[in-house]
Amino acid sequence: MSFKIKALTKSIWVFHVSAGSCNNCDIEILDCLTPRFDLERFGIQLIGSVRHADALLITGAMSKKSVPRMKKIYEQAPKPCVVIAVGTCACSQHMFKDSYNVDQPLDKILPVDLYIPGCPPKPEAMIAGIVKLVTKLREKI
Amino acid sequence: MRERIKEKLGPKIKEWHEHSARRIYFTVDKKDIFETVRFIFRELGMRFSTASGSDTPDSFEILYHFSNDSSGEFYSVRVFIEDKANPEIDSITPLFPGAEWIEREIWEMLGIKFKGHPNLKRLLLADEWPEGEYPLRHKNES
Repeated sequence: MSFKIKALTKSIWVFHVSAGSCNNCDIEILDCLTPRFDLERFGIQLIGSVRHADALLITGAMSKKSVPRMKKIYEQAPKPCVVIAVGTCACSQHMFKDSYNVDQPLDKILPVDLYIPGCPPKPEAMIAGIVKLVTKLREKI
Repeated sequence: MRERIKEKLGPKIKEWHEHSARRIYFTVDKKDIFETVRFIFRELGMRFSTASGSDTPDSFEILYHFSNDSSGEFYSVRVFIEDKANPEIDSITPLFPGAEWIEREIWEMLGIKFKGHPNLKRLLLADEWPEGEYPLRHKNES
């Protein structure tokens, strides 16, 4: 397992899931990939299939419709797979706590490794979060 | 443009309100909605932006928003559906498929039935959501 984690921290391939988000966090995630921040220079890139993913990046307040689909996606991800909650909605349901269409926060459904709060979080905050996560994972090895 | 609308629809227009120079609201009867939308879309060539439904104390209200892209004006056609127990209105999806999803959403959120809609089934709510429960009606307010 430790070899796999070591390999994972070298270049993180991220699968992005929007589970009922307002799109604002998703726009900031795209900003991370623009030339200004350029996360790809660290080997971090978005990919098209969860079966190739090292990390699952989730935005949104987990609407009831998305929960079973979210679980299916997580089952398909190769393990070890880190789960990153981006935005206050994914971290704590935010203003949708009492909504008719939301009942559980993300961390009751999947094991979350990294929380990046903010509405939306700045690209700098996401980069800082990822650096913390990679440092933590490397300590485990 | 407003002259052409007033001339063609004439007595069908119940109320005309100009919120600003570019924001015009008018009310028509619910039985005239298909004809009104057909005229605005087909003959005046306006773009269907979206529709919005809401639950008011006396009735359900649907606003069909049309944009006149050449002048920047926005026309909203307002319809009241008084029968709150069994709300029904003609679907405008047969005119243009762009209205299909918003009508499905209004149907599942407010329970307004669209007559003549080709594919009236659930869009956003969870698969196991109970039949006959409409989350955006006022009695469900928490």
